[in-house]
Amino acid sequence: MASLSTWSPIVLVVAFLILAAVAYFFRSRGEPRYKEGTAQTQVFLAGEEAPEPDKRHIRAHNMYWGFFQALKRYYETTMNAHTGIINDYIIWFTSVVAITAVIVFIAGMV
Amino acid sequence: MGLDSFKRALWVYHLNTGSCNGCDIEILAALTPRYDAERFGIVLVGSPRHADVLLVTGPVTRQMESRLKRVYAQVPEPKMVMVVGSCGTEGGVFHESYNLIGPVDQCIPVDVYVPGCPPRPEAIIEGVVKAWLKLEKAQEPVTA
Repeated sequence: MASLSTWSPIVLVVAFLILAAVAYFFRSRGEPRYKEGTAQTQVFLAGEEAPEPDKRHIRAHNMYWGFFQALKRYYETTMNAHTGIINDYIIWFTSVVAITAVIVFIAGMV
Repeated sequence: MGLDSFKRALWVYHLNTGSCNGCDIEILAALTPRYDAERFGIVLVGSPRHADVLLVTGPVTRQMESRLKRVYAQVPEPKMVMVVGSCGTEGGVFHESYNLIGPVDQCIPVDVYVPGCPPRPEAIIEGVVKAWLKLEKAQEPVTA
């Protein structure tokens, strides 16, 4: 008979059952008076109405949330310029080239 | 009242709906070593979802009306509401103010009133004990 090693499926199944029993014990010790589907099971935010879960959590992968939040006005302005229309980009390009040419021309005159 | 009334700790959530803070200071005084309400298991908790008693101070301002109703709805059954101070009981010196809904019982049902401006800690503790007894009566059909 093979000995039970750490990675034996039997050990893992027994460990899972023990952990499930512990979790069930703690869950059974919880407050049973809550009524499901009422305000009693909703998030408490100092009396404020709780927003939807996707609006009250900052996703863990978004490490730059504070950075983007701080520069929100800058990004909103620049993102408005990115319309996705090629004619707009050509206008931007032509304008920048014209202004640069004028500046270079004036600088060459001085 | 015998020791049978102390079957379990009583958790209280304190909400200020527009008080001048006088009653809130007296509530804290009831928890200091001089009165030491915590030795009876009377504990202030940080969430109404953990509370047995909702303790309200102050008259209800218009801004606090929806918050008070929401907090009351979040306290699990059976629950008791206790009002501390004259303002929450009948409006007090603010009763004609333009930005008040009125006393607490105009927004949510109230079980125990502790009048005073502010009431002494002894009166607050007595009010909590009355709420406790009322709560135990309300729980009897559940536990029987």
